[in-house]
Amino acid sequence: MPEALNELWFALPVRGRDLAVLLAWLAPAALAGALILRGHRAGPLVAALLWRFRWSNLLFSGLIAVSVGLGVALVAQERALRQGTAKAADKFDVILAAPGDQIRMLLAAVYLQPTDAPLLRGDVLARLQADPQVDLAAPIAFGDSFDGAPVVGSTAQFVEHLSGPLAAGRLFAREDEAVAGALASVDVGDSFTPVHGHGPAASAGETHDGVTIRVVGRMAPTGSPWDRAIVVPVENVWTVHGLANGHAPSAGDRLGPPFDPDYFPGTPAFLVRADEIWKNYAIQARYDGEGVMAFFPGSVLGRLLALLGDMREMMSLMAVATQALVAAGVLAGLVALTRLFSRRFALLRALGAPRRFVFAVVWSYAAALIGAGCAMGLAFGWIAAQVVSRIVTARTDVLVAPALGFAEAHLVAAFFSLATLLALLPAFGAYRRGVVEDLRAAA
Amino acid sequence: MRPCDGSPSRRGRAPVTAPALSARDVTVTAADGRLLLRLDRLDVAPGAALGVRGPSGAGKSTLLNALAGLLRPATGAIRWGGTDVAALGEAARDAFRRRFMGLIFQDFLLFEELSPLDNAAVGAAFAPRAERAAIRARAAALLDRLGVAAGARDVSRMSGGERQRIAVARALSGGPRVILADEPTASLDRANADLLIADLLALAREGGGTVIAVSHDPAVTMAMDRIVSVVDGVARDGDHAGAAVVAAPVAERARA
Repeated sequence: MPEALNELWFALPVRGRDLAVLLAWLAPAALAGALILRGHRAGPLVAALLWRFRWSNLLFSGLIAVSVGLGVALVAQERALRQGTAKAADKFDVILAAPGDQIRMLLAAVYLQPTDAPLLRGDVLARLQADPQVDLAAPIAFGDSFDGAPVVGSTAQFVEHLSGPLAAGRLFAREDEAVAGALASVDVGDSFTPVHGHGPAASAGETHDGVTIRVVGRMAPTGSPWDRAIVVPVENVWTVHGLANGHAPSAGDRLGPPFDPDYFPGTPAFLVRADEIWKNYAIQARYDGEGVMAFFPGSVLGRLLALLGDMREMMSLMAVATQALVAAGVLAGLVALTRLFSRRFALLRALGAPRRFVFAVVWSYAAALIGAGCAMGLAFGWIAAQVVSRIVTARTDVLVAPALGFAEAHLVAAFFSLATLLALLPAFGAYRRGVVEDLRAAA
Repeated sequence: MRPCDGSPSRRGRAPVTAPALSARDVTVTAADGRLLLRLDRLDVAPGAALGVRGPSGAGKSTLLNALAGLLRPATGAIRWGGTDVAALGEAARDAFRRRFMGLIFQDFLLFEELSPLDNAAVGAAFAPRAERAAIRARAAALLDRLGVAAGARDVSRMSGGERQRIAVARALSGGPRVILADEPTASLDRANADLLIADLLALAREGGGTVIAVSHDPAVTMAMDRIVSVVDGVARDGDHAGAAVVAAPVAERARA
């Protein structure tokens, strides 16, 4: 039987399973509500109490909203960051670089973080150009910048691969032309002179005097740091650094592959890709070895995120703990509030209301506060995630676009169910109070 | 007022007959065993109006609470028709009160957050579904008759007389057989107090309901058919101290 259930479970579409989990989380609250409210019409009285004490209630619900919102924002933000970084690395199938730190090269080649890296030489280029499985082998030569934006040398094929159709202009056709990223500070038609160095090193770097590059095209947005970059022909990078331009003198003004290994000055990294996934695996396996480090950026990113996953777990735990503390605080407040209401409840009992009705009023009151807090928490969490994402996107250029999904719905549903079950406590407290004593107490 | 058939109680369901009150050898004690009330014998015929008087702290409210089933006596029996409320469990006493009793309190005890109509019909919230509409209709009619606007006016800004009239409508909206009033005029001026008692007795008599009113106000007790005094926790008939008390309905007295 369990196996059959297991099969049934996995036969469901993912959304179906998510929905089932959501319903399962809500089930305890729904069941409790159905049992508690059965046969009574507590709604109008509860609504009137909620309205009469609306400011206190708003405070209670607001506290719940903040704690729920923090949890929602954390989950949504973390997922969006994961998706954004993964999407940014999506176009980078296999990276070849000199042996070293994969994470450092991942950050340099994919996320354009400033770094110094040893160069791959012509022998690697020769192997790549002769490899029938390789469909694209683009050098990625970083190290220059303009106005804070990285100026990266590569090929027109790489630009096409990264951007797809350009948003404006055309691909570069000469060494002194460039294609700007979607968010780069230069426009089509602008000219600029690159500076040696990128990031903190740029301020101390020297301007490549006498070099003027004209922007002739703009890439479509990629949701990655490449949106801020300016891509120039790799030949330009070599030339402005006084190196051979990758082609034999007899090649004239040739731009792009094939390059001549004998005139190949070297590049920190190659982006290599094949049209079929299995070939990418074969390429990675074949090239990773002596003198070359070949890796899948997606795989390295996965390991990095897994490492950060522990941090996420800890933060999630802290969020849950915060929610639990707030829920406990709110419940303590509810206990105090039910004491303030004790004369009302005693009056109901004196008028013949069964204990269960008073129980239903208290529980409904608490459930309404918790439900309102959860709903506001979802909204608050979404807003907080949007704000944080915009900051992260502005700082990293990795497009982080959070959206509310089932993960957040599960979190809120779980909190709602647990809190409404905890709300049984103040309801029991009101249930057990003496009628005559409470009628007299405040008289 | 609903009809009574005198059938025996079942889970607090009333005798449905006229719930003549017959209390015997009742004692109510505090948690520490101190005697709060002793009532040897009290009989009240259906439809009678009984005043309960006595000094403050003598046990008048305790008597009323015991008769309402809000307090459980340590000894004795309090029979309303065939039902001994002293022997019922708490849930059954709640149900008995809901179905057969209407309570009025000294300081109105209204739900400030509800409209006059919602206050008067609050019993509908915990009544069986089939009775809710009737309770609400009766509440509206009572408020109309008592001259209180049923709309959404803030009850906390109403005069004491209006508030207590809402409380009377609430007590009567469930169609009770017995009305128990604890100092119903204590918060009212003379004119409003007289008006309220007149209205209460008129409404109760129209339905043949029994009224038991605790009050310091001689005008209230004198308006009743009979008086019971409570002194130092001992309840005695006003005319026949220590003897059996039988209060007859006004109509029967008139015929006599």
